[in-house]
Amino acid sequence: MQTERGITGDLRQIVGSDNIREATTEDAIEGVQPALVVEPGSVEEISGVMKLAAREGLAVSPRGGGTKTHLGDAPRQLDLIVSTTRMNEIMEHTPGDQIFRAEAGVRLEDLQERISESDQMLALDPPESGATLGGIIAANSSGPRRYKYGTVRDLIIGITVVLHDGTVAKAGSKVVKNVAGYDLSKLFTGSLGTLGIIATANFRLHPLPKASRTVAVEVESPQQAQEATQSIVHSQVEATAIELHYAEDEKLLTVLLESIPGGMDAKVETASFLLKQFGEVRTLSEEEEDHLGPLTPPAVADEIVLKLGAPPAELGSVLESVLGAAERRGLAHPRITGHAGTGVTFIGFSGEDEDAAVGFVGEMREIQTRKSGNVTLQRAPLTLKQRVSTWDNGGDYLGLVRRVKEKFDPRGGMNPGRYLGGL
Amino acid sequence: MERSRLITAMEGILGTEGVIHEHEQLRTYECDGLMNYRVIPDLVVLPETGEHVQRIVKLCYDEGIPFVARGSGTGLSGGALPVKSGVLIVLTRMRKILEVDIPNQRIVVEPGVINIWVSQEVADEGYYYAPDPASQIVSSIGGNLAENSGGVHCLKYGFTTNHVMGAEVVLPDGSVTHIGGGLAPDAPGYDLLGAFVGSEGTLGIATKITLRLVRVPESVQTLLAAFEDPEGAGGVVSGIIGEGIIPAAIEMMDRLTIEAVEAAVHPGLPDAGAVLVIELDGPEAEVEEQFGRVLEICEENEATEIRVAEDDAERALFWKARKAAFGAMGRISNDYYVQDGVIPRTELPAVLKRISELSEDYGLRVANVFHAGDGNLHPLVLYNNSTEGEAEKAEKLAGDIVFTCLEHGGSLTGEHGIGEDKKKYMPKMFTDDDMNVMQLLRCAFDPHQLANPGKIFPTPRLCGERPGPFHMHPLQKAGIVEQF
Amino acid sequence: MTDRYDATDATERGSDEGTAREDAMAGAIGAGSPEDVGQNTFAATTESLQHTMGKDRPESGSYAFPAFDDHHPPDKGLIDDCVHCGFCLPTCPTYVLFGEEMDSPRGRIYLMNKGLDEEPMNDEMVRHWDLCLGCMACVTSCPSGVQYDKLIEATRGQIERRYERRADDKAFREMIFKFFPYPNRLRAIAAPMRLYQRFGIGDRLRKAGIMDRLPARMRAMEALLPDLPKEEKILELTEPVGEKRRRVGILTGCVQRVFFSHVNAATVRVLAAEGCEIVAPKQGCCGALSTHAGREEESLDFARKTIDTFEGENLDNVIVNAAGCGSTMKEYGHLLRDDPEYAERAKEFSSKVRDVTEFLHDIGPVAERHPLPVEIAYHDACHLGHAQGIRKQPRHVLKQIPGLGIKEIRESEVCCGSAGIYNMVEPEPAAELGERKAKNVLATGAQIIVTSNPGCTLQLRASMKKMGREMPAAHPMEVLDASIRGEPVEKLFQ
Repeated sequence: MQTERGITGDLRQIVGSDNIREATTEDAIEGVQPALVVEPGSVEEISGVMKLAAREGLAVSPRGGGTKTHLGDAPRQLDLIVSTTRMNEIMEHTPGDQIFRAEAGVRLEDLQERISESDQMLALDPPESGATLGGIIAANSSGPRRYKYGTVRDLIIGITVVLHDGTVAKAGSKVVKNVAGYDLSKLFTGSLGTLGIIATANFRLHPLPKASRTVAVEVESPQQAQEATQSIVHSQVEATAIELHYAEDEKLLTVLLESIPGGMDAKVETASFLLKQFGEVRTLSEEEEDHLGPLTPPAVADEIVLKLGAPPAELGSVLESVLGAAERRGLAHPRITGHAGTGVTFIGFSGEDEDAAVGFVGEMREIQTRKSGNVTLQRAPLTLKQRVSTWDNGGDYLGLVRRVKEKFDPRGGMNPGRYLGGL
Repeated sequence: MERSRLITAMEGILGTEGVIHEHEQLRTYECDGLMNYRVIPDLVVLPETGEHVQRIVKLCYDEGIPFVARGSGTGLSGGALPVKSGVLIVLTRMRKILEVDIPNQRIVVEPGVINIWVSQEVADEGYYYAPDPASQIVSSIGGNLAENSGGVHCLKYGFTTNHVMGAEVVLPDGSVTHIGGGLAPDAPGYDLLGAFVGSEGTLGIATKITLRLVRVPESVQTLLAAFEDPEGAGGVVSGIIGEGIIPAAIEMMDRLTIEAVEAAVHPGLPDAGAVLVIELDGPEAEVEEQFGRVLEICEENEATEIRVAEDDAERALFWKARKAAFGAMGRISNDYYVQDGVIPRTELPAVLKRISELSEDYGLRVANVFHAGDGNLHPLVLYNNSTEGEAEKAEKLAGDIVFTCLEHGGSLTGEHGIGEDKKKYMPKMFTDDDMNVMQLLRCAFDPHQLANPGKIFPTPRLCGERPGPFHMHPLQKAGIVEQF
Repeated sequence: MTDRYDATDATERGSDEGTAREDAMAGAIGAGSPEDVGQNTFAATTESLQHTMGKDRPESGSYAFPAFDDHHPPDKGLIDDCVHCGFCLPTCPTYVLFGEEMDSPRGRIYLMNKGLDEEPMNDEMVRHWDLCLGCMACVTSCPSGVQYDKLIEATRGQIERRYERRADDKAFREMIFKFFPYPNRLRAIAAPMRLYQRFGIGDRLRKAGIMDRLPARMRAMEALLPDLPKEEKILELTEPVGEKRRRVGILTGCVQRVFFSHVNAATVRVLAAEGCEIVAPKQGCCGALSTHAGREEESLDFARKTIDTFEGENLDNVIVNAAGCGSTMKEYGHLLRDDPEYAERAKEFSSKVRDVTEFLHDIGPVAERHPLPVEIAYHDACHLGHAQGIRKQPRHVLKQIPGLGIKEIRESEVCCGSAGIYNMVEPEPAAELGERKAKNVLATGAQIIVTSNPGCTLQLRASMKKMGREMPAAHPMEVLDASIRGEPVEKLFQ
């Protein structure tokens, strides 16, 4: 960066001297350390920062809770991190309308606590603790409840973004039903900071369920896991989540059921009845429920995590292909978990033998893309990422993705190099 | 390109039976469901396959001819209004259901497939397609996609965008791309499908659409409740939401609407200031208990009459009353103007009051039908076209109603779209920057601005440099437009 | 017009298809269930699609501006009732076939509107109005209550006067109207037709490939030729069995009288069994075909004569067993509104006209019904279901027969393609609609098709024959007659 002190001085003017500091190794993203970290406190400040960044040709990476900064390939260039920690205000919560408006730096946990006072919730339950709304949107984070409530795109109703050159734009509104203009909220969902910085967002809320219980069945084979899942999926029981834990020593399908107290027993009974043909069915205790969450930060330091998307009805063959490929590459039985009802599977395996890991990922990619599925590196060491991209090739829509990126970020200053197709 | 050569070229792709060029025939396409705007298209073409669509669009792209896509032509915002000197691409002959995949709860259809056919196709398997706009017996899936159509059941089940999983799209340059992932979740890259749904035909034409199917619920309970005035009915809505109950649908009709519906379909509605149709569905035990609570809430809000549907036939009767509401207006008025506005639910009483004030000020009756659950209003401004000046008054009144919605934190449109009709209001909801950024998306898909140009945005904006020899866009020549 | 069919009484139709929501949607446009409107079974052939674009049509280049003059143009007030919502599209047979706007009620009304002062009467306009079947499914489905029947009738009248048809087209239509409204002339050509059929001449011509060389319209007519049973005469006065409940007149019809005289005989027997004194005076044509084709003078003439025939007979009701005829006779009041001499009389007359199933439903049964264990498919003739709104009554009347089961036909709102003279002047779309209907009928698995219109019967038979299939057909009165007389089911299959 030229005239570093000049830029720092200008930034100080925009965000205040307390809210800018030099970056440390802690701030490095995939081995690339930026020069500065700024913490703007308003949309105007973000805009000011980005205007400067555009003027100076800085590569910028937005950051919320920092829980998913590892997601993506290594950045091609990184000069400035724009942190949303100070953008932590819940601007509006109208329980009667079941919506809220908040700044991007609001942590999900804090939001849920505040909203629950009105017996409501944002129906998103990603596993990462400390994640912020902006990051959740940008990374399209989700958890088990996506089965019933959908993902970010099904819950977000409005957004304010700041583009690479400081342009501020909003889309959507604070009403759930709205078709005025283009749905930019959805465009920015999962965009991983490559189109712009998410400054505020509006979401729709759901009532907090009054009662819940988890029913689980032990399965013995991939085919059984599939059939058990399908039996719940095609029933009328309206489950909230269907999760799979498939490890060498434990193979369990858990079904989260939520309802009003008066309807709880009937739901549990129906679900148990449907599952009992596959194995032993039991209701989980609260402790067990907590323990059986989706794949959280890896148990083993160098565990590699793949995320697989496949048609839900092919769960059995997905599992079989994973186990088969692992065996062929000489890998130990992977630790598999997943949102079985929606076709998302996480595969955790040891990264000790990097060549085997590369081969395994390659094979999984080949199998899945043939069936129109996808494989993403959810968590992997830098050395592996240098050999294998985080992302699949992308289908024939890659050209369109590129064009959108070029329009929103013509100078390539937003998180360059981290996304699909090297964007 | 000279017209006769264009006709020959199109006939080469589609055969003579696929090209309409005679004047009187073209006139029948000059408007969609909104008769206030009419433009005679240069040519109307009727493709039967995705390949036809691709070749038509490529031809238009090569010759710089703008085009508009149209389904059944039932849209209420003029989204399928043809563009002058342009081609109208009508998808009604692409009506095959291509693939049914019950295990993955998906179905793949062509854009001309009628909404209700989808549910009928999978009814035997115990599934249905949830988005049910009032026009579902005639509107096409392609049109639903373009407008992100809603319906009475979208409070619980969402809109078209929540039920479209993938699409094969012909882009305005004639290339074909597949967006959305289809069967597999979380495809990498931007949510292009999410941006495409609701883009009103300005980003391309979908030629194959993958839809999500929903399991028919175990139990359905429907009631019809009458109230002396809309306040009572509004109280019920707040009460239900406050309890944390999410009904499958809550619909409200006011006195004038009830009168019209009675005249048209004679469902035997009670004489009341407002009527609510409330439906709950889901697992039986849950529905049973919640329904009981809903009945209590109705009584707490002084419902003058409550009818619970005893069987499917009676349930169909309640819904028939609601679904026939627009058409029924013809019985009590010569003409009517359907407006579509959205407000936060909590603002309902204030907005209704304001609408009735406006109605008095203008001296025109306004009937109100709405999706009370999500604050989506359909005020129907009744007027007589033959009375001089009344049509303009009606339009102005409808405009004022939309401004009221904006003032109360709502939106310009809940489900009918911006199209031609509401683009003049866009600046009231969005700043220039907002619209410029939306335009970036459009330029990514359609740099030459050929797909349904002139819709959604009030002032035409071009997309920057065009490769090749410089052609001055006719609007630029006229000095109307800025280079963007 | 009587009340629209109450589509919400699903038990009437025994249909459990579709959810209540969809039934409501279908009900909002007057259909019983979503299965009754056009489904995506198959698309029209290239030939017929080209047909509607003008290929191979007898077009003359005639031109008159504006399209309509002052004598009974389609009424602007009625046209303005249309709000362009499009709900009529899925029930319109030509839209279901062709999928384009000009061949839909919405499009045709739009052309009428333009024809008032903006567009001429020319080949293009007439083409699409000619292609309209006049089935009135759109009247049933229109939520705004547009009276399309009045509009198309007025339009057809204008066409007859202001559009010069090509010589061969004109000649063909004249020929039809020289024969069909005149039973004696029909009978006169019946004899040579009997020989034609007895010696299988048609089949020989087909095998020799000569049939294919005849123009499409001639081929269509030939294919429609019915079998000719021996004629059953009915008396001018028939006494009731038991107590006399009503004194009624009966319209014997033209095609009905010559080719389906056994239906008239059965009708008289049933009425007599139900305590009616039946008068069958010497009579002519009721004018239905002429009315529906826009031949105004001719139709008024027939109407007056019919009124004259029945007026002096001191009747409680005039009974009709052919759907097309009944619908026109109920309209006499409107048709003769300009005639000072007949206007009141016509209204009075029309108020007495009843379809036979409507009548029997109203007076209730007295004669015993013996069991007829048979599965029937009941086909709603357009002029009974759409034009007169009579759908419950025939079903009720048939359900009174023990052991009889009624199967509902898919796409029941969509016309079979007979539509008066339509299947003779527009053979291609008529053939496609006929095939579609035949397939839907065969899919019910019923043993016999029952319908109230001779035109429909002929059309269905011809369509099935083309598919190499066969199914016995009967009129509701034939079925009821067999039940009252205690005849075995097999009798119906002859």
